[in-house]
Amino acid sequence: MDRRSGKILLVLAAVCLVVGGGYVAIAALGPSETTTDARPQATEVLSRTHVMVRAVDPKKPTLNGRVFVVDRGQVRQLPGDIACERVYYAGGEGLCLGVAPSGVDYEATTFDSRMQPQDKITLTGLPSRARVSEDGRYGAMTVFVSGDSYLQSPTAFSTRTTIVEMATGKQIAQLERFDVSKDGKPFDAVDFNFWGVTFAKDPNTFYATLGTGGEHYLVEGNVRDHSMRVLRTGVECPSLSPDNRQIAYKSRIGDSERWRLRVLDVATLKDHPVAEDRSIDDQVEWLDDDTLAYSDGTNVYTVPADGSGEAELLVRDATSPVRLNAGQELPGFAR
Amino acid sequence: MYQVEASKALLKPRLWARGASRLKVPRNVVMLGMVSLLTDVSSEMVATVLPMYLVFTLGASPLVFGAIDGTYRGAAAVVQVLSGFSSDRWRRHKEVAGLGYGLSAIGKVALVAAGNTIGGIGAIVAVDRVGKGIRTAPRDALISLSSAKDRLATSFGVHRAMDSVGAMLGPLIAFGILFAAPARFDAVFVVSTLFALLGLAVLFLNVEGKPRRAPRTGTPPRFRAALGLVKDRSFAPLLLAAGGLSLASVSDALIYVGLQRTIDFEPAVFPLLYVMTAVAFMALAIPAGQLADRIGKVPVLLGGHALLLVAYAVLLMTSVGYILLIVCLLALGGYFAATEGVITALAGAVLPESLQASGIGILITVVSLGRLVSSVAFGALWLELGLHEAVTIFAAGLLVAMAIAAPLLLRAQRTPAHG
Repeated sequence: MDRRSGKILLVLAAVCLVVGGGYVAIAALGPSETTTDARPQATEVLSRTHVMVRAVDPKKPTLNGRVFVVDRGQVRQLPGDIACERVYYAGGEGLCLGVAPSGVDYEATTFDSRMQPQDKITLTGLPSRARVSEDGRYGAMTVFVSGDSYLQSPTAFSTRTTIVEMATGKQIAQLERFDVSKDGKPFDAVDFNFWGVTFAKDPNTFYATLGTGGEHYLVEGNVRDHSMRVLRTGVECPSLSPDNRQIAYKSRIGDSERWRLRVLDVATLKDHPVAEDRSIDDQVEWLDDDTLAYSDGTNVYTVPADGSGEAELLVRDATSPVRLNAGQELPGFAR
Repeated sequence: MYQVEASKALLKPRLWARGASRLKVPRNVVMLGMVSLLTDVSSEMVATVLPMYLVFTLGASPLVFGAIDGTYRGAAAVVQVLSGFSSDRWRRHKEVAGLGYGLSAIGKVALVAAGNTIGGIGAIVAVDRVGKGIRTAPRDALISLSSAKDRLATSFGVHRAMDSVGAMLGPLIAFGILFAAPARFDAVFVVSTLFALLGLAVLFLNVEGKPRRAPRTGTPPRFRAALGLVKDRSFAPLLLAAGGLSLASVSDALIYVGLQRTIDFEPAVFPLLYVMTAVAFMALAIPAGQLADRIGKVPVLLGGHALLLVAYAVLLMTSVGYILLIVCLLALGGYFAATEGVITALAGAVLPESLQASGIGILITVVSLGRLVSSVAFGALWLELGLHEAVTIFAAGLLVAMAIAAPLLLRAQRTPAHG
C-alpha cells in the first residue's frame, strides 16, 4: 500500500475506534435493564380466579417481568427475584424462561414454592413455551434456534424442545431425538420441529406439535419410551384440560402467521371454535374444565371452552397465565 | 475489551503483509482479504444479534423472519451472473465490487436509522443479499487477475482464511458489546456500520483495480461471449464437474441436523459444531491452497470431496462418540478448505483474462443452484427412506460424481479457454 493511502486508512481506523468505542462506552454506562418493574391490573371478571401471571411492560414487552398472583381481583407480587418472559408453575415446581442477567443469552430457572431459584439451565435460543406436569415431576421448554434450517439460511428458525426433571434441573430428553410414528409406520424428515408440550395427569404422557413439510401435527408422546405418534393435523400448542378430556389449541389460518383458538375432544378428535375472534399466538391455559385463559402478548383474556359466551379481559399488562390448583401454597397466597 | 481486539485486527495489515510476503501472495489479494474480513465482521455482528433484536425490540415471532429471508435468495443468483459480466464488460471489477460492498454498508446504516419495523428489516436483508450477490464475482476475478497463474490456489486460500477470521470475530465483538451494554442493539449496529465503512475504505484506498493480469487492450467482451462460456471446450467440463459434485454434496447445515439425530449431546453443544468447522476451515484454507499449487488443483479438489465422504461415513455409524464427532467436523472443515477457494482458482486458471468475472459468476450460480437442488433432494429422501438411506444414496452419488468429475476437471485444466 502506498504511504499516503496507508496513512489515511490509519486515521480512519482511529476515528472509527474513537466513535465506536465511545458509543459503546456511553451505551454501557447508560441505563440498560433486562427486567421491568411493571405491575399487572386485575379486572373482576371471574371472582373465583386464582392465577399466576408474568407482568408485561406494554412499551417493552420482552423485558423479563415479575411474577404475580391474581387472587379474586387482588394482585399480589410474589417475593424473590424471579422474573421471566415465560413462566409456569405446578406441583410446587416453577419454570421461568427469560433473558440472562448478562443480557447476552437466555436461561431457564427452576423455582420452588417459596419462590426460591433452584437450578439454572442455559437456553440455546429464544424462549417460546414452558410447561410443568401437574405433579411437578417434569418440565418442558421450547426455544427458537437459528442456523440449522432447511435451506441453510442463517436467519431462518427452527425450534428445540427439551424435557427437564424439575427436582434436579437435569435435561432428560430432547423431543428431536424421539422416534415418531404415523399410521403405524416410522416417520422422520429433516425439517422436524417440535413445540408446545402439554403433560397429562400421568406425566410420562404428553401432547405436542410436530411441524414438518408445512403441516402441523398433534402428537401424543411418552417420556419414558422416547416415542411419539401422530394423532391428527392442524393443531399447534396443545393444552390439556385438567380432566384430560379436551385439548385447547391454536389453529393456523391457511399458511399465514395468524391463528384461531379451538378446542378438541381427546376421545373423538372432533373440534369446535371458541368465541375469541382475534388471532392469538399463545399456548392456552385452562382455568378449570370449562374455561380458557390466554394472552394476546399484553393482556390476559378468558373465554368459555364450549364455544359459548365471549372473550373477556381478565388481567391487564400480563402474559403467561397459570392455573393455581387448590392446595398449592405460595408465599402470601394460600387458598 | 473486544474493542481493543477489534482495533488490533484493524492494525493487522502490516502483519498480514509480512506473513503474505513469506507466502508470496500479492498485496492486492491481502487487501481484498482485509476488505472481506472487515465486511464479514460487520455482517456477522448483525446476523448474530438480529434474531434476538427482532424478538427483544419488536416482539416479533422469529418464524416470520424465516419467510422474509427465503424470498431473496433466488434473486442473488441472477445478480451474480449480471454483475460478473458487467464488470468484465466495463473493465471495472473494483467499482462493481465496491457497489456490492457499498450496498451492504448502506444496509447497516439503514439498520441504525430505521431498523424498527419488520418490513424495514426485510428490505435491509434483501439489500444485503443483493450486495453480496453483486460483489462476489468481480472480487474473485480481482483476486485471480492479481495472482500469477501458478499461485492462484494459495491466493484464494489466503483470501478465504481472512474471510473466515472476520466471520469468527463478528459474533465475538457483537456479544462483547451486548455483554458490556445489555440489550443495546443500537451499539452493535453502529459498530457494525463502522466496520463496513472501513472495509469500503480499504477497497477504495488500497486495492488496485487494474492488477497485472487485467486486460487493458482489445475490445470489451460481448454478452454472447460470456454466455458462450457454458459451451466452451475447457470451461464447460469444469462447470459440469462442479455442478455434478455440488448435486452430491449435502450442505453442512443438514449434516449438523443429522449429527443431532445421531448423537446424544447437550443442546448447548450445538452452536459449537459451527465454530469447530469454521476453525478447521480457517486453519486449513491456506495449506490446502499451497498444496493445490504444488501438486495440482484437481487432486486437492477430489481429496476435499473424499473428506466429505468421511463426514458422510460418520453419519452412517450407529453410535457416535465425541471423538468421531470431532473427526466429522474436522473433515467438514477440511472439505471446505480444499474445495471453496480451489474450485474458483481452477476457474481463474482456465478462464480467459477478459471473462474472469463472468465465468466465476456463472460457476458460483451453477454451484449454488446445485446445492439448492441437493438440499431439497436430501430432505425428500430423508422423509421417504430415512436418514441413513439418504446419506448412503448421497455417498454413492458423490463417488459417481467424483469419478465423472476427475477426467472432466483434468481436461479443463489442460486446455485453456478462449473468450
